[in-house]
Amino acid sequence: MTMRDFRFFHSAAKLQKRLFREREREREREIMACSRLMWATRAASYLRISVPFTLRVRGFSSVLKDLKYADSHEWVKVDGISATIGITDHAKDHLGDVVYVELPEVGASISQGSSFGAVESVKATSDVYSPVSGKVIEVNEELNSSPGLINASPYENGWIIKVEMSDKDETNKLMGSDQYSKFCEEEDAKH
Amino acid sequence: MRVPRSLEVWKMGTVNYLDALKLQEKLVSDRKTSKIADTVLSLQHPPTYTLGKRRTDHNLLIPESELKKIGAELCYTQRGGDITFHGPHQAILYPIISLRDIGIGARNYVEKLELTMIELAALYGVRAFAGQKGETGVWVGERKIGAIGVRISYGITSHGLAFNIDPDLSYFKHIVPCGIADKEVTSLRKETDSVLPTEEVIQGQLISCFARLFGYSNLIWKEKGSILSDNGEN
Repeated sequence: MTMRDFRFFHSAAKLQKRLFREREREREREIMACSRLMWATRAASYLRISVPFTLRVRGFSSVLKDLKYADSHEWVKVDGISATIGITDHAKDHLGDVVYVELPEVGASISQGSSFGAVESVKATSDVYSPVSGKVIEVNEELNSSPGLINASPYENGWIIKVEMSDKDETNKLMGSDQYSKFCEEEDAKH
Repeated sequence: MRVPRSLEVWKMGTVNYLDALKLQEKLVSDRKTSKIADTVLSLQHPPTYTLGKRRTDHNLLIPESELKKIGAELCYTQRGGDITFHGPHQAILYPIISLRDIGIGARNYVEKLELTMIELAALYGVRAFAGQKGETGVWVGERKIGAIGVRISYGITSHGLAFNIDPDLSYFKHIVPCGIADKEVTSLRKETDSVLPTEEVIQGQLISCFARLFGYSNLIWKEKGSILSDNGEN
């Protein structure tokens, strides 16, 4: 190895170490932020308060008590035979800033667990799946011009579709808020 | 408590874009049913322009009818991202992996793909970095050296990254690359004074960076140069 090669490899190794240290420091900051926010999140979700933007920390995203959840991170709010569907705080944290939403046609039939559209963020398109079966009766047209509503307000203004359910009992297969919170923690612990 | 994870690496040479797309669709379906383990395709394409789900064809600056004259094709895809160019001497990785198995989402996945290219560039003394918000990809100064476009379906990834070793950069003049105007495209050849080894070596290094960042401890290398005429094998 020549001196020049050695210098290149040495600076490459230094750069790698620096990247690693920076990632470690970032992780430490996240953990500190986690513990400060944890009580706030739990209290807020129990009280069904929409938690503000500060919750960027993985594993402690807000979960609302009166919704049902799919393991693909969509939520559903049931009102009679009508269901409003969106993606959760956890999902949008893991996606990054949404720049595009592909919506289904009104009148389309969808089934539980199958894809009804997609969102794009950080140059990645991610399919979204319906927690229930039925017919699409309304789509959130606002998302065409303001896809960021999903990030700003995933449970309210960032709703994606409304469905007339064909089988209300399907919601029994979904998770409640506590079960979903636990599911998210277990998923985040995998890495 | 980490279970040792395996990655199957398919070394494929030059593959037509649409053939690679059909292969990925099959592999995603197989990965979803756990017929196969996490796999990554390592290949290059003949000159091809591709568009993402948003179909931003206003960023193609020449008429489609002119493409044949310059020896290129245009393909529409379901991946994220804007218009880009793939061609010879550009190293491409298409990981077909389960993000749910490793508990990460799109953002974290894409960050790791960016780091893969950053670490490869660092091996040649090139200081690259991830783009700012809205400019996913890998940059050297104001010049883009690596692009990313991904699709995630049932938690399984397809498409992936493209790293410019030494492609013909004039092809990029016919598009607004990734929809970002006024930014140049560059290559490893342009950015480093180092003598570059063969592309096979560089692609091997790219795969090693990928495997290390994603925690694969066991790599299974497969030469799949003739896979597309070999339907029985999987």
